[in-house]
Amino acid sequence: MSKIIALVLIVFLTGCSIGGEKKIKIFSVEEPRQKLDYPMPTALELEQLKWIVITSANAEEVFKKMEEQGLDPVLFGLSDKDFELLAKNFAQIRQKLQETTNLLEEYKKYYETDENSN
Amino acid sequence: MFGQLRMIITLIMIMGIAGAGMYVFKLRADNAVLKSNQLKLEQSIESQTKLLEQQKKDFDAILESNKKLNNLIQTFKQDLDDLDKRFNKKKRDVGKLAIARTKAIERIINKGAENAQRCVELASGAEHTEEELKATKRSEINPECPALANPGYVHYE
Repeated sequence: MSKIIALVLIVFLTGCSIGGEKKIKIFSVEEPRQKLDYPMPTALELEQLKWIVITSANAEEVFKKMEEQGLDPVLFGLSDKDFELLAKNFAQIRQKLQETTNLLEEYKKYYETDENSN
Repeated sequence: MFGQLRMIITLIMIMGIAGAGMYVFKLRADNAVLKSNQLKLEQSIESQTKLLEQQKKDFDAILESNKKLNNLIQTFKQDLDDLDKRFNKKKRDVGKLAIARTKAIERIINKGAENAQRCVELASGAEHTEEELKATKRSEINPECPALANPGYVHYE
């Protein structure tokens, strides 16, 4: 009888080890990087300005007109050569702005489209 | 004596059967490993193929983007040359012209400034108007930046 009890006790004590430990499974799921997704900068809306051409011949007339319109009779002048340079500088600034905007669009297209986002 | 021999033969037989059984188990285990390896290799080939396809797509996209930006830089050069021509074509002197035809030059300068201003707005991302998109003739375009303002216009001399 005592042998049977001992056998049952042994079975109970070792029962938990039957089947062994469960294996841990490790999954690696690639989580894509979050998109930056900034909106494109708002387009500029520039104020309209008026150029006045002033020569020695029309100077008096121009100042008189300005006074009539309630403007201060003062002009900030450029020579014809400097006006040309200003136009070219303005064109270069505009081109740089366009180049930067295009680069930004290309980067967005390349890195933020669904195909390439991973 | 005979009993011992029988016992030895029986033991050898049992060991043989056990060995064969173990060998079969080993073969089955090896087979499972080989199947799993085969599966992994196939997956690996598939992912490599996908990677190569993606690399090709990326390479094409980079080429196209480079081409687009190079074209853009070419149009910048063209626009600057055109601007220079407007000031200096056939030894033109804007100063002398302004003295001789003050009002006309003032009008031209103001129109040019307005056009240049629109170019800046477009360069910063403003939407094109319908007229800008439809413009194909020289009289309809924005001469300060035709490539930017009028995508339908083809430059001609």
